[in-house]
Formats: sequence, C-alpha cells, structure tokens
Amino acid sequence: MTDKTSSGPAPMDVRPVKPKLWQRLSLVWFVPLIALGISLWAAWQNYSDRGTLIEISFEDASGITAGETMIKFRDVDIGQVESVKFADGLGDVLVYARVDNNVAPYLDDDAQFWVVEPDVSVRGISGLQTVLSGVYIGGSWDTDADVQQYKFIGSEEPILTTANQRGTRIVLRASSGSALLAGAPVLHKGIQVGYLEEPQLSLDATEVVVNAFIEAPYDRRLTTNTRFWDTSGFSVSFGANGFLLDFNSIASLIEGGIAFDSLVSGGDPVEDGAVYDVFYDEDTARSSVFEDPVGAVVEVAVLFDQAVTGLTVGSAVRFQGIRIGQVSALNAVVVGEGADAQVVLQTVLALEPTRFGMDEDATPDEVLTLLSDFVSRGLRARLVTGNILAGTLVVELVELEDALPAILNRTSGPYPVIPTTESVISDVAATAEGVLARINALPIEELMDSTIDLMTSLESLASDQATRNIPTSVMTLVDEARNLVASEDLQAIPGDLRTAINDLNSILAEASEAELVTKLTDIIDKADAATENISLATENLPAITTEIEALAAKANGLAVESLVEEATETLATIDTLLGSDETADLPRALTGSLDELRAFLAEVREGGAIENVNAALESANEAAAAIEEAVAGLPELSNRASSLVAQTEAVLESYGDRSRFSAETISTLRDIQAAADAIANLARTIQRNPNSLLTGR
Amino acid sequence: MGSTGSISGLTTAREAGLIACQRCGQVHRLDQPVCKRCGGVLVSRDVQSLQKVWAWLIAGIIAYFPANIYPMLLTSTLVERTESTIIGGVVELFEHGSWGIALIVFVASVVIPVGKFIAIMHLAISVQKGAKDQQHGRHKTYEIVEFIGRWSMIDVFVVAILSALVQLDTIATINPGIAAISFALSVIFTMLAAQSFDSRLIWDADRTPS
Repeated sequence: MTDKTSSGPAPMDVRPVKPKLWQRLSLVWFVPLIALGISLWAAWQNYSDRGTLIEISFEDASGITAGETMIKFRDVDIGQVESVKFADGLGDVLVYARVDNNVAPYLDDDAQFWVVEPDVSVRGISGLQTVLSGVYIGGSWDTDADVQQYKFIGSEEPILTTANQRGTRIVLRASSGSALLAGAPVLHKGIQVGYLEEPQLSLDATEVVVNAFIEAPYDRRLTTNTRFWDTSGFSVSFGANGFLLDFNSIASLIEGGIAFDSLVSGGDPVEDGAVYDVFYDEDTARSSVFEDPVGAVVEVAVLFDQAVTGLTVGSAVRFQGIRIGQVSALNAVVVGEGADAQVVLQTVLALEPTRFGMDEDATPDEVLTLLSDFVSRGLRARLVTGNILAGTLVVELVELEDALPAILNRTSGPYPVIPTTESVISDVAATAEGVLARINALPIEELMDSTIDLMTSLESLASDQATRNIPTSVMTLVDEARNLVASEDLQAIPGDLRTAINDLNSILAEASEAELVTKLTDIIDKADAATENISLATENLPAITTEIEALAAKANGLAVESLVEEATETLATIDTLLGSDETADLPRALTGSLDELRAFLAEVREGGAIENVNAALESANEAAAAIEEAVAGLPELSNRASSLVAQTEAVLESYGDRSRFSAETISTLRDIQAAADAIANLARTIQRNPNSLLTGR
Repeated sequence: MGSTGSISGLTTAREAGLIACQRCGQVHRLDQPVCKRCGGVLVSRDVQSLQKVWAWLIAGIIAYFPANIYPMLLTSTLVERTESTIIGGVVELFEHGSWGIALIVFVASVVIPVGKFIAIMHLAISVQKGAKDQQHGRHKTYEIVEFIGRWSMIDVFVVAILSALVQLDTIATINPGIAAISFALSVIFTMLAAQSFDSRLIWDADRTPS
C-alpha cells in the first residue's frame, strides 16, 4: 500500500511489471473460442452435408412444396425440395432439390423421378400416407453408379417398375390396346406375377406395344414357347355344359389383363426385351403353340369386294392347306375418287415367311419379291369356308392357272395388295338345312307301315289253314289217283289217264307260263342292283358321315329294329313254310293223292260208270286248278318281295351304309335272296322235272 | 466540473482502505484476503473483469446467430411438420393477429438479448476508455442489464415446457430445435458477461488506477 502521508523522498512511481499478454489472459476466453469453433464446425458440417443440388422438371408441380416435399428412395428420405421454379418460357416446372451426397453418385441416366400421390384403383389404394403428409417425390435408380447427372425429367405417371426390382421386362404386341391399361396384372395360373406398363402405339400405328414386367422368380417361367393371351372382360358361353361365366380376376375384369403360360416344354429362356404376341384368347394361344408366333411377319393387304362376315382378326391364312399367317386387321378403305369411289374391305394379312419356306432372316423385300413372282404366276387370294358349322372364313392363297394377269401392287397404301379371285363360300346353313329337309321328307313311317302290313299279310297267307291244307288235299287226291292207277281197270282207260296227264302237264305249263322263274330272276337281279347301289352309295358317301351317322342312329331308334325283326320273322315263316315237312312232303302227298285217285278209280271201276271217271277227272282238274292257284300266288309273293326289296333299296339309298341298319338290311336282303333262291330252285326243279310232281320224286 | 465534482466527492471503499465482500457485503480492511464471515475471496478490483466480459459477450453473440438461423420449435402434426425460427414465429404470430404475444416474444427473444449485447459492450468500452461521464447512468444500466437478463430465458422455458407437454405421438409433437439450445447458451453467456463486469470499475475512471 502506498503511504501518501509518509514524508521523505518523493515516492517512487513503482509500477508492477505488466504481465505478458498471454499471462493476463483469462481462461474464460476459451469459452468464446470453443463457441466459435463449434459454430464454424457446425457451419462447415452443414455446408458439406447440405447435399447435391439436382433439377427435376415436371409438367406441373402437383403438390410439391419447397422446403417440405421429400425425395424418397425405397421409402427412405434422401433429399428435400429446395425450391420450385418455372423453366424459361413457363414450359415446365423445375424442382430443385438437394439429395444426400452418398446417394447422389447413383443418380445416373437411369434415375427416374415421379410424384407419389394417393391413387385409388381396382388393384388397391396406394400412396395413402400422402393424403395427410402431402405428396413426395419417389425416385428409382439402380445400384450402379455411372456418370452422375444433375438434371432429370420427372415422369408424370408413377414408375411401376423400379430399376432394382428383379425380374424380366418383356414387350407385348397386341392388335388392340383396349384391354391393356398401365398396371393391369399379368397372370400366370391365376396368380399375378407382373404387370403392364403404359401401352403405346407402335411407330407405324398398326399395333399396340406394351412393356410388361414379370417379377422374379416367376420370370423363369418365360420361355420361347410361352404364349400370352388376353384375359380381360369375361366370357359367357352357353353350351352342352350349361351356362358358363368365366373371368379371371376382378381386377382383370375392369382393368384388363394378360395371362401367360408355357404350353409346351422345352423352350429356351428369354432375356429382357423379348417380344411376345398377345392372343385374343386362351384357345387361340394354345392353338398357336405349334406355330411360330415370333417369326418375322410380312403384312400384305387383300381388298375383298364382298362381305367378309365370318372373317376375324386372327383368322387363318392358308396356302395349299397350310397355315402361313393370319389376318391381322380388317379395315374398310375407300378406293378411287369421285364417282368411282367405293368402299372395299381391306384385310391385312400377316404372313410368316418362315412358314412358306423362306429363311428366318429374309428381309420383307425379299419376301415381297417372292410374293410378286407368285402373283404374276397366278397367286390369288380368296375367301373360303373355314369351319362349316361356325360359318367362319379363312383367307386362302391359291394359284390359278387361268388367272387374269395381275401384279402385286406395292405402291398403293401402306401394304402391298394381293389381287383376289372369286371366293368359295359354301353356305353351310343352306346345305345342312337341305340335308335335314331331305331326310325329313323320307316316308320312313309309311314305308315301315306298309312293310309291316306286307309282312303281316305274308305271314297270314302262309299260316292260313287253307294254304296249309293244300298239300293234304293234294296228297288225298294223289292217293286217290294212285288207287285209280293201281287198279286193274286202269289199263283200260290209259287214254283217259293220258288225257288227265296231259291236263296236268298243261297245268304245269301254265305254272311255267306264269313266268315264276323269270320273276324270281328279276328279284335276284334287283337285289343285285340294290347291292350295287349300296356299294355305289358307299363310294359316293359325302364327308359329313358323322352327321349322317347321328341321323342313322336316330333312324335306328325308330321302329326299324322291329321292322327288321318282323321282316326276318316273316322270312323265317316263309322259310318254314317252304322248308316245312308238309311242303317237302308235297310230292309224296301227291303220290298219296294219286293213290287216292287210284282208289277212287278203283271205286269208279267198281262202279263202272264212265261219268264217275269223268267226274273224277273233273275233280282232278279242280285240284290241279287249286294247285295252279296256289302256284299263281307264288309270283305274287315274289312280286311283293321284289317290291319290298325295291323299297328297302330306296331306304338304303337314302341312308347310305356304315349303319347297323344297313348291315341288317343287307343281311335281310341276303335272307330274302336266299328265300328267293329257294323258291327259284323249287320252281326250277318243278320246271325241269314236272313229272316229279306226279311221280313224287 | 459539477458532475465531476460530485463524483469526486464520492469516496470509494478502495480509497478508504476498505474492501467489501462481493457476496455478503461484509467490509474488511484492504489487506484482508478472505471474508471473515462467508469465506469468500476478497478482491478490491477484478483486473480480469473486462477480459471475462468480452469473452462471455463474444461467446453469447456467437451463440445468438444459430439461435436465430435454426428453428426454435419443431412442430409435427398429422398434417404437416413445421419448423419455426424465432423471427419466423414472431412474424407468424403477428400475421395471425396475436400482437401482444408477438410483442412479448419479440421483446424477450430479440430486443432484450440485443439490448444486453449493446449495453454490455457500451459499459465495457466506456470503462476501457476511462469515460468519466454518466457514471450513475451507466451503473443503473448495469443494474438493469443484470436484472433483466434472466427474463430472456422465458423463451427457453416456453420451448422446454411445450416440448415436455405436447408429446401426443403422431397427432402432435413439439420438439426443441437447435436454436433453443443456442438461445439458452446465448442468454447464459450474456448473463455471465454481465456478472463478470465489475461495476466498481465505473467509478475508477476519474481516478488514477491503483
């Protein structure tokens, strides 16, 4: 302490040595230093962490808010929108965003950005979280870092296939895009294994091309033998199985869908970018398996000037019976100008050159050159009936010898035009109707009725007691005659006897005059002719035997069986009659009759009355007349049998062969023939040896 | 000389050979190193006072920048997630018509801290320059700064209370931002700066130091 009050020398101005600056410094200075350090470090950290600025251009900002909207990759925030501006000329909205530095190197040319918004569709609801939190920008890119980019063009639609989804991307070609919507499912055995992306028209606008993505591991099911078909909508069929409603899934019902299956094994695996055709339906797809669907196609047009009802897209194009392509489009085009203008139907044919022998790598020009050679040699297109029942048409390329000269017109319109020729369309409806009408017109019922009547009368004739009694009475007569002959007095009247014999002879001559044999021969001839007709009918059978068979089956179901049975029965009865002991005994009975005659003669001789003899001879004459009557009945029988054969033949002509009915009818005919043969034999025997009637041999 | 004379008329404790304990006010002789009553260290003049003031003040100013740049409150609701800075909050409140609250927040968070910075700087510079005028005024300023400094923490408390209370999971949550910590630090640093200031130095200006 300085003592100001003390006396003495002037006080020394003693000042303590000023401590050095750093010694005077307080430790507190560390606080602002640390604060400054932390601040600077934080600032630097902030600057270095602020991310890479990228620019994404959208058509509209649709809910993007600067400073709020996030950029997400696999649902992880990787960046944030910094500002939203207009591009020069207000053409686009430019969204500037900062993305994490560790992600930025992966933003190469495959990076895609889109705005994720709530989306309600048939397949479900997506992006629901964005209802409350606002939209965000989704990003997709693969895991390879290529050349980093800073400017991107945002996609207006959500990208369905993110770059790192595993699977196979394929290209589907379809004739119509109506069934195809972005996001529509691709089904395999009813399970969704992929989806379609946005369908686009091909460059020439002739078909619809849509990318599809098949997720792993189902993409292994894709081979070169895989076929795709349209499952959209539903199909209603009404057939033998009843009413059938078929659709694949609700989603495919509304949004459309594509299904695929590898219908045959052994195809090669495919890679990204494989191209498939979409078939109209599963049946078409299946039937196409054995054709080459992905072969190069050359499209040509045909202008038909008539209705092409029955021709559809997908209808076959045939060349000499072989399918070489299909109809790919049907359009109406106007040809000519002014007063000459007319609408013709342009049928576009997709020809597969490999199917008519060209190399797989033949250029369309080569194919068209070949075609134009063919055309100049007479190749023409025409419509022919494909399926006679369904009434479908196919296009047939034919080579006509006498075709008017024409060329393959390669200059008019987008397709070369193949000239046409007259079409061969059989109106199946009319044909079938005609067949049915003809069958309907057959008097089957009446025929059977009259046949049954005939058989019945034949049977009653054969079983008539009077008929059966003939042999007996003849036998009695012969017995009597024998008695007469055996009588000693018989010698006395040989002349009379000779007269009687002459009379008998004349009876027999009458019998032969009745042309029994000729008629029998006629019957046989007719039967032969019938057989020939049948065989002729067999040769000329139309191709529609199946229908006829069905018809014959129906005919079989009619009373034909009973008719045949009855015919058989009747014939058996005739057989029985002819082969019966009584008939066989006829000669013997005649002998007996002669015996009786003899006895009667003896009686006469005993009576000694010539009148009696004369009376006896008269009764013999009567007997002979009865025989004559009986024999005269035989031709009538033959006639009726012959008419039966003729009618049967008519039936057979209508029916053709291959049916049981025909076979049975033929066997019946054979039976009739055999019966006729037997009658003919009998008649021949009687004719050759008329005496046997008398002698009993 | 009126004012100087009146000041000169004051006798400082140091001139009287006395030293007062800063804690309990017990007066001792100058050679007494430790307070007899409370055991506090007795220092007549804190020679490092100005250094400390400047150090704390600079630290406080440094902390005040992030407090204003970064968000104070992170409010997440179902619908949105907002971050509000101090000034942003004031502007928002003002726009919503809550002028009173906006004014309170503005005063507590902006006017008072900035005013404190200026006041402390003014005091420190005037002491360093040895200014001899307005010693009473400057002392009063010091008193006010020290008294009012704690009220700046009102902002921090609001944030702390809101953060603790509003934690309704997804519906609404409020979290403190970096600015809350920075602001609290800034307030603490400036309070320390104010405390470090040895107000006795104000009265030494017109005297020959030691």
